[in-house]
Amino acid sequence: MGRSRVSNFFRPHFRPDGHFDSAAAHKPILVLEKVMKVFRADAPVLRGVDLTIERGEFVFVTGPSGAGKSTLLKLIYKAETVDEGRILFCGRDIARLTEDSVPHLRRNIGVVFQDFRLVPYWTVFENVAVALQVMGLPPRVIRSRVALALERVGLDGRGEEKVAVLSGGEQQRVTIARAIVTEPAVVLADEPTGNLDPVLALDILGLFEEINEGGTTVIFATHDRTLLEVSPRRLVVIDDGRCIEARAGLAGLGGVLDHGISLN
Amino acid sequence: MFERALKGLRQQLGTQMMSVATVALALFCMAGALLMLENAGAMVRRWGAPVKVTVFLAEGANVEQVDSLRRALAGLPEVEEARYVSSAEARQSLSTGGDQVVASAPVELFPATIELRLAPSAVTAERVASVALRVRRIPMVSEVETYRGFTERLRGLLVGGRAAAGVIALGVLLCVFAVVSNTVRMSLAARLREIEVLRLVGATRSYIRGPFLIEGAMLGGAGALVAVLMLGVVFMTLRTQFELSLGAMIGLRPVFLPWSVLASLVAGGCMLGALGSAAALRRGLQA
Repeated sequence: MGRSRVSNFFRPHFRPDGHFDSAAAHKPILVLEKVMKVFRADAPVLRGVDLTIERGEFVFVTGPSGAGKSTLLKLIYKAETVDEGRILFCGRDIARLTEDSVPHLRRNIGVVFQDFRLVPYWTVFENVAVALQVMGLPPRVIRSRVALALERVGLDGRGEEKVAVLSGGEQQRVTIARAIVTEPAVVLADEPTGNLDPVLALDILGLFEEINEGGTTVIFATHDRTLLEVSPRRLVVIDDGRCIEARAGLAGLGGVLDHGISLN
Repeated sequence: MFERALKGLRQQLGTQMMSVATVALALFCMAGALLMLENAGAMVRRWGAPVKVTVFLAEGANVEQVDSLRRALAGLPEVEEARYVSSAEARQSLSTGGDQVVASAPVELFPATIELRLAPSAVTAERVASVALRVRRIPMVSEVETYRGFTERLRGLLVGGRAAAGVIALGVLLCVFAVVSNTVRMSLAARLREIEVLRLVGATRSYIRGPFLIEGAMLGGAGALVAVLMLGVVFMTLRTQFELSLGAMIGLRPVFLPWSVLASLVAGGCMLGALGSAAALRRGLQA
């Protein structure tokens, strides 16, 4: 199996054999069909979630703490497995992936967390480059692509610094650089502004919007109402294991949030 | 992958050095036992082969009969030399140290013998026993001494030594396995975040496990190398003393372990380290 075939395993417009697949290019990037996730039998986290996300969309996922936002994202990058229903990523059912194929799925999904998940004793460069190193790219390519990613997140020339000495906002930028350096089809952000002050949070949101403008699908989980108000994007509210949608942000929800869901 | 393994080793240098020292000490014991066995083997090869047979002559054998017997024995294919030793010569050789009691003892107490020196290359214990059996049947021969008891004692010692070395080896193997396994487990615990990040960005199982396996192999190999070097130093230091004392007495020069054994020790250390590491990964990466 050639390298191009491996890296294109989940590319929307390529079939696994490396040939262009025009049909795949027009499929939604992500389809969730009646997805169930149960940790405790008496309280399922997700109860038959249906959701379709198109290529290049920016979607906010919101809901109270413990509603299942993080679980939903974990199911997408297969840190958790679906109990019922299915998730199609670029038309492929990720529940059917073998253990050996999961890394290839993850190479096409960038993930950003609230707690950054960086290796503190590595430099900024190392923390970003790792996403390309696992793909076996040559060092020259890695250097140039990491430099580009750091420039996009405003950390140009900071590659040699240890991440442990960076501020929270800067660490989150490193995480974002790591998520986008592979030019993934989707970026999942799980409460990426949860540890940041409001100004930095808006700054980081702006960064995700820029990434989205480049054509990358962004799924942004948050319970920060300010961000939802500032950026009127498609909104998916998860509560009691089900989801409610509003295409035009908070305003489109009408009274749902006020009656049923309390956001912080 | 090799670079990542080296990076991991550098990260916890103190712990890794301690592990190498422990592995080295354990393997030094095993290599020391092997060295002793090697030299015991050389001694058995040198002295174990029955190269000397003494034929005791019965009283009353005349000179012609003895000479005829000596010539007949000298003609045997296994015999290199057959020498007649008279009673007087026997008494004289026994009293060489100035023992007056032996020197003044009646000559009849010392039986005349024919000393046979056998060709070591042509001799086996079975053939010597067969020669002794045939010679014993000759009427003028009262007894034949093949010194087989001494040989068998030496061989018995060697067998016992091998069994002891086997027990030591087993203990050492378990020790090395446990030390490397625990070190890699500690290394895993210290690098959980790193592993989590690798999984997140799509690293394959082999990509994650590889550096840890190399790390274990390097620990085992480095320990074995240090053990071999330590043994070499100890051997060089003690060799002169050994050659002057025991060596001169038994006519043997001490030998060091052959290159093949040394290479096997280092390769075995690497393999054992990798196995220990694999065991640690099997448990550690499941979490």
